[in-house]
Amino acid sequence: MLIKVRKLERVYRMGDHVVRALAGVDLDIEAGEFISIVGASGSGKSTFMHLLGCLDRATGGSYDLNGRNVRAMTDRELARIRNNDIGFVFQTFNLINRTPAIDNVAVPLFYGRQANTNAKAMKALERVGLAKRYKHKPSEMSGGERQRVAIARAIVNNPSVILADEPTGNLDTRTGEQILDIFHSLHQSGVTIVMVTHEMSVAAQAQRLVHMTDGLIDVDREVTPELRRDLVHSGVLGAKRIEREQEEIERTSA
Amino acid sequence: MFAFRLILASLRGLQTNLMRSLLATLGVIIGVTAVVSAMSILAGAEREIAQRFESMGADQIMVVPGSGGRGHRQARLDSLTADDAIAIREECPLIINTAAERSQPMQVKYLQKNMFATVMATTEAYQEINDYKVESGRFISREDNRATRKVCVLGHKIARELFGEVAPVGFRVKIKGIGFTVIGVMEKKGFLGMREVDSQVIVPLDTGLKRLFGFQFVGMITAQAGDQTKLDAAIQQVKRTLRGEHKIRAGSGDDFSIFTQEQAKERVADVTQIFEIVLYSIAGISLVVGGIGIMNIMLVSVTERTREIGVRIAVGARRMDIAAQFLIEAAVISMLGGALGVVVGMAFADLLEKVTRVLKTFTPPSAIVFALIMAGCVGIVSGLYPAVRASRLDPVEALRYE
Repeated sequence: MLIKVRKLERVYRMGDHVVRALAGVDLDIEAGEFISIVGASGSGKSTFMHLLGCLDRATGGSYDLNGRNVRAMTDRELARIRNNDIGFVFQTFNLINRTPAIDNVAVPLFYGRQANTNAKAMKALERVGLAKRYKHKPSEMSGGERQRVAIARAIVNNPSVILADEPTGNLDTRTGEQILDIFHSLHQSGVTIVMVTHEMSVAAQAQRLVHMTDGLIDVDREVTPELRRDLVHSGVLGAKRIEREQEEIERTSA
Repeated sequence: MFAFRLILASLRGLQTNLMRSLLATLGVIIGVTAVVSAMSILAGAEREIAQRFESMGADQIMVVPGSGGRGHRQARLDSLTADDAIAIREECPLIINTAAERSQPMQVKYLQKNMFATVMATTEAYQEINDYKVESGRFISREDNRATRKVCVLGHKIARELFGEVAPVGFRVKIKGIGFTVIGVMEKKGFLGMREVDSQVIVPLDTGLKRLFGFQFVGMITAQAGDQTKLDAAIQQVKRTLRGEHKIRAGSGDDFSIFTQEQAKERVADVTQIFEIVLYSIAGISLVVGGIGIMNIMLVSVTERTREIGVRIAVGARRMDIAAQFLIEAAVISMLGGALGVVVGMAFADLLEKVTRVLKTFTPPSAIVFALIMAGCVGIVSGLYPAVRASRLDPVEALRYE
């Protein structure tokens, strides 16, 4: 088991006000899986993502990554986990604009105190088909290219899991598809991917769909070819519809 | 290795923000410029003074009237006479020669040429003690003195100024309206002690005292010790002799002061030390101002790059790494400012030397090292708070920052 989450909680206290952003989530993810997490805004999916990515600390429950108890780790150990085991891809790319693509990709290697950073960064750029533009700065690139640089940065350390937060949210349909193609090919080469999105057609790319409401997972199911077809063709699909489908499947199996 | 890469990265960052970084470090540039140029002037002056003391001779004991005490006797400036000089020479076994002197600026005239020059009344011993040679003619003699002859010897420079290319020996100049025959011209010497001698006119002591100054007392007696290693004993002998001559009772203070080259050097060192303290205070203030400038810009930079900091933490930077990045950036900016300040300061000192033509400047290597280290420290100290602030950012908040 790559990721094992039990009763994970994240509670914010603002004065007397208590917000349970994550209200006790259970989830298992095997190595090599491709999972989408969907949900309305405020459903807790971003909070869950930050906890999985070791950017934030849970206030309750347990989280094991590669069999190690993340909640017991020091800040220094968390930094190491983020560096070695996790690759982030953001909606807004979050590249450092004043340095060329290759340097952006090399940032994780730099903090990992690794040698031979240029060759490794170059290899990662090759995997996303941007080797030729390694010298260009993000400001000289299109949105799709920037996101590919960001993916190269996420995979440069061969992490256990890639966490993508609305990776196509800022892109047009065509470039969005190119990015999804890259995720597919990464997945085929064995990389584990967890993707947060609110677009059902994007979520349909994954093997498994997790839906969250009010800080809890309320749907967790395999994306069957039928579901995929429905999700893609219906464009944006409400959570109710997935629920209805699930009930239908349960009824037929019973 | 990691630190080296951080320095490289911060230098690259500076490139993109060159103008702003320069403005940030302006305070440091100005501070270091001020320190380096002032240090250059001070060090140049010290060197110049040291060279002058070298010409004074380490075997000389200077006696001047008055001891700086509060008593009537101690405040007197007319306590030394030509006879005292003779008494010292004759009664102190450790003293081999003495020269009494008195000098005063006076009008010296040759034909239509008219100028103010230092007139130095002294004896033949002056030349022997100071190893000061004549270029043409001869120096004043014991006979000139005894007969109060109206003769004079010209310094190298004033001879040129009064006579041009003409050889002055045998001509008459007028000092305070009285005619004096030129009997010699001195070699080019520059300084003897603190006194510029190339522009002075030397006359026999008694002639000067009687005909020009109208006083019977002298301004200084220079005594030459035979053995430089017994200078302290020689000083004691001079002291005892003078107290005897002046009939000073035991318990009363001296009416004269004695100093040597070594003591004069120390006194100058005291004065330059005061200048140095003032200088370092100014440097300190301007560097504090410079540090505030850098802190300001670093805080702006941290705010501007909040998202970048979030990303760096997300891809595995430790809090220490983030702090180190901003600290090194501040130190690099500050040290660049320091380096610029050193260059500008040296150029400014050079310019002063060329424009004034009197100031001799010299930039000691220690001043450069000091300035750079100071600038680096200012950078680190003023970068500390912004760096800590950057390293404490919550990555989730930072990634959301617009």
